[in-house]
Amino acid sequence: MMKNIIVVGGGIGGTMTANNLVRKLYPEIKSGRTRVTLISNSHWHYYKPAFMYVAFGKFFKNELRRPLASLLRPEINFLLDQVEGFEFKNSRLRMRSGDVHDYDYLVVSTGCIPAPERIEGLQEAGDHFYQHDPARQLFEKLSTIEKGRIFIGVTFPKTPNVPHQCGIAPIETTLMLDEFLRQRGVRDKIEIVYTYPTISQLTRNCLFLQKPTGEVLPSIFDSKDIKHKRGFTLASVDPENNVAVSEEGDEEDFDILMQTPPIRAVDAVLDSNVSQSPNHEGWLPTDRQSLQLEGFENVFIIGDTVDLPISKAGGSCHNQSPVICNNIAGLMRTGKTVDEYDGKVQAIAQMGMEAGMPLWYDYDEDVKPTPPTKIGGLMRKGFNRGIYWSVARGLI
Amino acid sequence: MNNDSATASRQLLATILESSPALQDPATLEGVADLIEKVSPLLQGRRLHNIVDFLAAASDVIEMTDDAMIQKLMTLYEESIGGVWAITNALQYASAQAGHKEAPPTLWKSIRRLNNDENARRGLDTAVNLMSELGRQSKISGQSFLED
Repeated sequence: MMKNIIVVGGGIGGTMTANNLVRKLYPEIKSGRTRVTLISNSHWHYYKPAFMYVAFGKFFKNELRRPLASLLRPEINFLLDQVEGFEFKNSRLRMRSGDVHDYDYLVVSTGCIPAPERIEGLQEAGDHFYQHDPARQLFEKLSTIEKGRIFIGVTFPKTPNVPHQCGIAPIETTLMLDEFLRQRGVRDKIEIVYTYPTISQLTRNCLFLQKPTGEVLPSIFDSKDIKHKRGFTLASVDPENNVAVSEEGDEEDFDILMQTPPIRAVDAVLDSNVSQSPNHEGWLPTDRQSLQLEGFENVFIIGDTVDLPISKAGGSCHNQSPVICNNIAGLMRTGKTVDEYDGKVQAIAQMGMEAGMPLWYDYDEDVKPTPPTKIGGLMRKGFNRGIYWSVARGLI
Repeated sequence: MNNDSATASRQLLATILESSPALQDPATLEGVADLIEKVSPLLQGRRLHNIVDFLAAASDVIEMTDDAMIQKLMTLYEESIGGVWAITNALQYASAQAGHKEAPPTLWKSIRRLNNDENARRGLDTAVNLMSELGRQSKISGQSFLED
């Protein structure tokens, strides 16, 4: 009987995993004993990390997206639809179209979505760069501001030891902002204030979620006249007076509030009632080694939807995807999982407009910060403009 | 450089070397000694000069590379890799489908499929367009043009 493997989500985790599964299970697929289906609610695949460049006018929409089907191998059955209900106990998906799909193995790669509405006043007065249209709106403000105060903040999920989307992004955009305003010739009339909340995963009162990086930040910021402040956890925003209020009791005024917003899982995952995360955030309980959904041997979680203490970023998916493919192949061929995820994440951080810093870490080792270089910057630009699409195709 | 300034430079260099924490580590010194052994034939034969020149050229390329160059190179990369990937996938997929059948379809069945399958007709149209474009380019390259 044919085995059905369904991948839900057409972001980087789902796209590369569907391609990797075909390569891994090619003998079974070729003989018609296995079928891989990818379900996405969009014809487009977006290179999400490029949204932050949109905020500085460095990327146009058509440069950061491709038709999803053009990134998939022909063996993959691509369905344009949206999951409305995950029935994990019955190994069944209920779709918006009314269709029902049964599966033998499921990979959930539905990502996360920004939820600024979860902080009073943030939707009205705040800006962010985690989606295209908000990033475009931020660009309008950053490219016209002549003087004032840009206040930068970061919101962490309420779930203990779970990070926000792309951990390094607030630092990247702060340094890019500094250079962008210098290039515009208005930096000396604009104060930049970088803040970080009191609780950031396992660290307290730091400037970053990992201590070694947090310790080098003050000297970097001081050298660029970027103010920095610990212990500012955004509680609410007064849109009429442009004031950000913290849980710690501080009030800060701003002309632009660049805030990493709260995030949550997509509706279908929230409604599955499997998550035990507080604040209705929806992170699925994921085995940190096998990446299986706890209690369901045939369901795997990848990317932003996990409840693991590693970055919600493509660099995580890149290392999780082979583990999931090996484990599905192991279950099909030997009846047991055969691979373990070590928490590895790698990326090239954009440190200002030109410099880059390759970084990697895992469950046991933090990032060891190194001096940003022009070669690192070129590597990042090369990745942004071309290599990423090979990663999505499962070639790298 | 006179003798006094040469002596002062040597003393300054010695001070820098003595104050380097890395050079106080015996493992570092052993590593340096090994490297000198390896490099000395290259130095003596003036062959290390080529490596230095190569590094200088690579460094120049890095300095000259800008956003526009990266974008052009990466477009070339993506179009090349993406194109080869799509064609090899299509070949592999088509071959697997054909090989899976007990007996290949008759010519009549193949022609009927070509007529009824919209994707097959589009593929044929793509092939005809490709041949047309190749023909256009052949015509240009085969033409003799008048001198300016």
